[in-house]
Amino acid sequence: MGQGDTVTGGAGRCTCCAEPPVIRLKEPDRYLCAAHLIAEVEERAARTIRERGLVRPHDRIAVALSGGKDSTALLVILSRLLPAWEDASLVAITVDEGIAGYREDTIRAAQELTRKTGTEHVCVSFKDLAGDVLDALLVGRETQACSVCGILRRKALSAASHKAGATKIATGHNLDDEAQSVLMNTLRGDLSRLVRTSDADSSDCFIPRIKPLADIPEKEIAAYLFVQDMFPFLPECPYTRHALRAEVRSMLSAIEQKQPGTMRNLMNSKRVIEKQVGRRALSEPLRRCRQCGDPCSGELCQVCMLRQSLGK
Amino acid sequence: MNGQTQLFPALMNIIHPDSTIQTMAGDPVSIARILDQLGISPDGVIVSRNGKLVPEDAVAGGDDEIRIIRIAHGG
Repeated sequence: MGQGDTVTGGAGRCTCCAEPPVIRLKEPDRYLCAAHLIAEVEERAARTIRERGLVRPHDRIAVALSGGKDSTALLVILSRLLPAWEDASLVAITVDEGIAGYREDTIRAAQELTRKTGTEHVCVSFKDLAGDVLDALLVGRETQACSVCGILRRKALSAASHKAGATKIATGHNLDDEAQSVLMNTLRGDLSRLVRTSDADSSDCFIPRIKPLADIPEKEIAAYLFVQDMFPFLPECPYTRHALRAEVRSMLSAIEQKQPGTMRNLMNSKRVIEKQVGRRALSEPLRRCRQCGDPCSGELCQVCMLRQSLGK
Repeated sequence: MNGQTQLFPALMNIIHPDSTIQTMAGDPVSIARILDQLGISPDGVIVSRNGKLVPEDAVAGGDDEIRIIRIAHGG
């Protein structure tokens, strides 16, 4: 069957032109061809950056680049948008956790992408940071994989960004990721984390984190890359099956399918709670870790607590 | 065609996210229906027909090659 003349139940053409559609968007309901999808995704990222003031002139932005689809899209989009921000520059940072059969391919993909986009690229590893690869650190505690990995990855990214002289850290979190986090924190009853996960979350002690893709659904990001032959066909992280996120993702995706707009509603609820409660009201005062001196909320930072529990 | 019986009806090839290939009768059917029959949520995948990305209400049939690509990788 030919492309473009076999769509039923809606327009057989892109809503904006006569080209065959590649995707149907629901908010508002419309069909987009490849070119209009690319323009739409890039415009939405630009709008998020503009409206939330995420990038300023002379910013040096560390892009957390795993080589997966979200960070790939993030680097592609930022490298295209960046000329609009005077003197802002990019450095891509890849963290090698040491996950056999998974991370090797994504690192290769990251290296290829930075070559294509002409972006400076830095690689850091858990082995350097924690003395061993993640696979070895997780023996007997596989169910804690995402927590352990998250703590070390944040630290590795933050340390490498400091070293690279970055003024912002950009991550590829999309709308689905953000909505999942809201639901997970609600399910855990963790209100302080719920209001702490904002892209504006930062203090003088941390490099501010920005999420330019936070308003774009995961599916549109995947489609954006596929139509440009840039979708990375990579294996799934072997530890994701242990994560609460996998269950929440599946549940939320099923609800979104039946009730389009659910994820955006969750994000709107979070913003209302943030406004009403105030971020500072729930956060503990910032202290310094007595072991490494990094900013933290308790006696020890999470990395030092983890190191202790791992005997490292 | 021309009143003759088609001896070998067309079959679609469905390529799953794990690269396994399944054949399906080439009668016209929407991508959404194919995903539903396979128990796959449309929100977790994108689908190409003969190498080109298509919306889920596109119709496939004949000897089309349908590829289902999982979009969530984790990490």
